[in-house]
Amino acid sequence: MGTLIQQEWYKLTHKLGTWLAIGFMVLVQVAMAVLAAVYPDSPLFNASTLVENSYIGGDLVMFIAIASVASIVSMEFQYGTMKQLLYRQYYRSQVFLSKVVVAVLQFLILQVIAAAMTVVLSLIGGKYDWFATAKNVPHWQTYALGQAGTLLMGLLLLSVVLMLSTLFKTNAAAIASGFIGYFVITIAAGILIALIAKWEWLKWNPFTFLMTGNQLVTPALANMTHLTTPVMVVGSLVYTVLFGLIAYASFRKRSI
Amino acid sequence: MTSTILTVDHLDKAFGGKQVLHGVDFFVEEGHVVGLVGPNGAGKSTIMKAILGLIPINAGGVEIGGEPVSITSHRALRKVGALIEYPGIYPFLTGRQHLELFAAKHHQATNIKQIVTALGMDTYIDRKAKLYSLGMKQKLGIAQALVNQPKLVILDEPMNGLDPQAVKDLRDIIRNMAANGTSFLISSHILSELEKVADDVLILNHGHIVREAPMADLAKVGGLTYVITPANLSQATTALTLAKVAYTIEGATVVLHEDTDTDLLNAALYALVQNGVAIKAIDRKARDLEAAFLAMVHEDKGEA
Repeated sequence: MGTLIQQEWYKLTHKLGTWLAIGFMVLVQVAMAVLAAVYPDSPLFNASTLVENSYIGGDLVMFIAIASVASIVSMEFQYGTMKQLLYRQYYRSQVFLSKVVVAVLQFLILQVIAAAMTVVLSLIGGKYDWFATAKNVPHWQTYALGQAGTLLMGLLLLSVVLMLSTLFKTNAAAIASGFIGYFVITIAAGILIALIAKWEWLKWNPFTFLMTGNQLVTPALANMTHLTTPVMVVGSLVYTVLFGLIAYASFRKRSI
Repeated sequence: MTSTILTVDHLDKAFGGKQVLHGVDFFVEEGHVVGLVGPNGAGKSTIMKAILGLIPINAGGVEIGGEPVSITSHRALRKVGALIEYPGIYPFLTGRQHLELFAAKHHQATNIKQIVTALGMDTYIDRKAKLYSLGMKQKLGIAQALVNQPKLVILDEPMNGLDPQAVKDLRDIIRNMAANGTSFLISSHILSELEKVADDVLILNHGHIVREAPMADLAKVGGLTYVITPANLSQATTALTLAKVAYTIEGATVVLHEDTDTDLLNAALYALVQNGVAIKAIDRKARDLEAAFLAMVHEDKGEA
């Protein structure tokens, strides 16, 4: 298993795109910090809002991870390399799991880089007090909760992307659905909440659980999702595992 | 004393309702090179995929080194290297990185250096594989199959896209590795090349093994051909006709097909000498694999 993870890691780190994406994310974060310093009074570049959003790093982490996860299985079919992975002493479950481990690892590392850059840029800018409080909660704690929520939401979304890329053997549909899913939670959350208010049973649909991150930071959202935060956390994990299992079942049945 | 590395035991495989393998049964001994030949759709790739645990089978079994192999049992495949259908290539990796990716850690550098040199890949091994020609990709696929010094190597059409020098290099590598105990199962449409490298041949048609024999025996199946160049063709044909010797004429030569009558050559020479026909040359040719293959496939069609 260790060998398989090393091999997946080797492929990921030898792709130029992996490094370009990280470089792009860091550059955008720096650019946003510079703009916040140059236009301190602009509501567009409000220092607090930018820090809460990791200088847009949070969004970029999701976009990079969606594209990467969508390709991690489908590229093997696209390049005709799937046979080479499977006619060795390893089982399909091990090959699949090694890909999942590396995808999660990449997501975590991207999040850590984005968060570290956020801390560094906010300290250089000197306009943000991590220990100041809002509603009796220090900023650092709110940020950490937001990161945990992003992690949960991200894992759920990435499991959907992995499932679709495995079902369709192509990364295009998976990337598209990943992006749509991401926009649903940012743009269409209001519509979903309205629908849940009308038909309560709709609260159990997976899109509701994409709001787990928001509810962790803003517990009052429970009144709209009609689910408690612990239920949201557990439900989010259950859906992640469920989509992961469907992805594995599809991968196992895939003819070579 | 040799032992069996691969046993394929009464393998049945159907895709949907269509039976593609019917009780395929053979074995490969250590250090042997076995050629698998058959027309398109005969089931060659299916057999290879079943051996490699890539597809489920309906009945029968596969063992490598005494260990079972199936879609859910892959342990024995640690001893195997393979190239199936076409080489899969990651365009963002160089040739060397492909080999580093799949080579076992111990002796990695030595094994890679050896195989790269043996296949004549030194000049482009550090280039991105997306820039490779078909032949270069094929060599890379072969190098990946061989880099871990496996006990059993399965190669599906390995000569595809290779230039004559590369074909010869590959032949030398196969013979050297076989001499050191590695076994090979090779399918190829280039029967003349297979003939030069294989010890045994399996002829597959419609999912059945129609013939399994050492290469030397297979050549004898169709008998021998003698090509006689007489000084005077007309005198020679008259003499042979009078002596009731069956022959055909090809250009200025008389051709005798010794299918069953082993005294044919003696009878022909006796008739020619008796009639004072001078003989310029006699060539003896064993029937080649291609001719034997075609004959058997046609026989099988006739029986079907």
